[in-house]
Amino acid sequence: MPSKVERWKDEAYGMEVRDHLLRFAEEGWDAIPEDEHDAWFERFKWWGLYHQRKGQESYFMMRIGTPMGRMTPEQLRTVGEVANEYATGPVDNPEFGEAYADFTTRQSIQLHWIKVEDIADIWEELESVGLSTMQACGDSWRNIVGSPVAGRDADELIDVWPIVQELHETFKGNDLYANLPRKWKVAMTGDRRGSGQGDINDLAFEPATKEIDGEEVEGFNVNVGGGLSRKEPRFARDIDVFCRPENAADVAAGMSALFRDYGDREDRFNARIKFLMDEWGPEKMRSVLQEEYVDYELPTAGEGLRDEYDYNAGRSDSHGDYVGVHDQSDGQNFVGLYVTVGRMSAEDVIDLADMAQEYGSEMIGLTQRQNLIVGDIADEDLDDFLDEDLLDEHSPDPHPFMRGSIACTGTEYCSLSIVETKNRMVRYGRWLRDNVPLPEGVDDFHIHLSGCTASCAQPQIADISLRGMKTRKDGDAVEAFDIGLGGGLGENPTFADWVKMRVPADEVPGYIANLLEAFEEERDSPEQSFRDFVAERDEDELAGLADGEETSYEDPYLGNTKMTWYPYAEDTSMDASPAPTDGTGEPLPSDD
Amino acid sequence: MADRVMKVNAFTTFDLLDASVEGHGFEEEAFATLNVRTAREDPEEITLELELDNTQLENVPAHADRVTLSADEARTLATELQKAAERVDDTDQ
Repeated sequence: MPSKVERWKDEAYGMEVRDHLLRFAEEGWDAIPEDEHDAWFERFKWWGLYHQRKGQESYFMMRIGTPMGRMTPEQLRTVGEVANEYATGPVDNPEFGEAYADFTTRQSIQLHWIKVEDIADIWEELESVGLSTMQACGDSWRNIVGSPVAGRDADELIDVWPIVQELHETFKGNDLYANLPRKWKVAMTGDRRGSGQGDINDLAFEPATKEIDGEEVEGFNVNVGGGLSRKEPRFARDIDVFCRPENAADVAAGMSALFRDYGDREDRFNARIKFLMDEWGPEKMRSVLQEEYVDYELPTAGEGLRDEYDYNAGRSDSHGDYVGVHDQSDGQNFVGLYVTVGRMSAEDVIDLADMAQEYGSEMIGLTQRQNLIVGDIADEDLDDFLDEDLLDEHSPDPHPFMRGSIACTGTEYCSLSIVETKNRMVRYGRWLRDNVPLPEGVDDFHIHLSGCTASCAQPQIADISLRGMKTRKDGDAVEAFDIGLGGGLGENPTFADWVKMRVPADEVPGYIANLLEAFEEERDSPEQSFRDFVAERDEDELAGLADGEETSYEDPYLGNTKMTWYPYAEDTSMDASPAPTDGTGEPLPSDD
Repeated sequence: MADRVMKVNAFTTFDLLDASVEGHGFEEEAFATLNVRTAREDPEEITLELELDNTQLENVPAHADRVTLSADEARTLATELQKAAERVDDTDQ
């Protein structure tokens, strides 16, 4: 029997939900019937809107999908203006202020405290510069990820930007693929870095070459069924298909139609294509694709470039990100800037967009490591650009502990998370920077902090994985983390080994300090990467490497932040919440 | 160690409980997660699932236990728990 969500989707879903949203925007929050909240909130996701958590009723997170994280400075400026005008709540964030934008691990933008009454105006502003919230969430083609500098990167096989634009145009707002059994995440990589992180996507196009009729053809190998959520992380598996660039839309259409028709619509927990891959295996996946969904003969896989991949690969011989100054193929430069846990104040967003425009940049890129790239900086302008004040905060050369930090949304807004995440990761990063010497030769150290097992911060693919839990300390329940070690992508992707459970949040920096000390003492040589060091050790050895420890680090969010209406309010109790509010932010009278 | 078997998020009934496991010749204590689940659509039974932190256990492999209850059985359990809670409350007073 189809699930409840499937029934809601049958009643209204996809494009038609826009009209309903516009009606609610006109009539106000109260017009959404209370007994239909769950159904409407599910449908709103297709248009990029997630209702915020308990205590924040009537407020939404809005996600804007930017294919491969690629934007123009004008689009970035608009995001900053929208954030400034509409993404402000009743209380400021102590680290990030009143208005800000989040850059996500899937190269999208998230704004918070959005009121339904403002949606029409926000869409008008976003759409006037070609931005959209369509299919940013929900059971459909999500934002396509890949390298934002495709076509500019001096280190690539294929410029995938025209192909990604084609896929984006084809599959956004397309009724044939608008209602899938679950989310559908696609990555396309054309570079030698592996920056699409295709391994953790439902459908991945990986750069490859193949000899066909005596001619060497550049294209993609096709992998299917990756994903990180819950206890079932999977890397996408090779279905032994080579795809020419001109066939990418056919293969993508075939695979997403196969998922639409064969994916599990009865159990949402079993719906992602990774579970169909578990059941079928890659051979059957290939044969069903060939026989039922593609009308040309699929070539077998070509020669991939995996051995060159370094993006988030934990290699000691190269940085696994886009931070810093890089050569463009046209002789100019792109500059990757560090953004603290992916969050930038609206003011900085606007200033950065203006600055990029002044330097003649035509491209801003959001990366899967929650950072930002400014493209097209000429050699003669580079020194001036690097001297800009804005780069003091958003540095092209941040400390490795800051550079490697990723955090999800957490209890600040998210209904699923059980711990505070972003502000805590900021504090962890600063404390580590100021107190923990990096072992010789370590220039990158990736710490991914996720608030629950949903894995939005991609915790399984980091040097240190932190996943929110609770523990008891001095008789009180406190926020804590399960800790994993040694995950990463690259030539041989591996998930982290989970080695500690429930380390109190205030003892995690001490744990990391102790761990790095053990690493420096015990590693084979200064050339050995942390990831290789972990791979060499069994579970017991890893668990015994270090323990949590209290230090000078102070954690203001140790209590149960999910029970607050907002963790940074003066009075955090649920009763103190002003929500739900009307279109002007005034509390609405409660029913009881 | 193995990863957790149960997912844990804000909808989990208890993410921090004291628990123990006893077998022939061993008894170990560990923190545990306990969750009450029903199917999203037309649920016919209730699932009660329990997982002890496997890092604290040496005698049993990482796992979660599940029992399924009918609505009547769940109500019986709830009544028993309610009565037991009242007895504990009485002692406290």
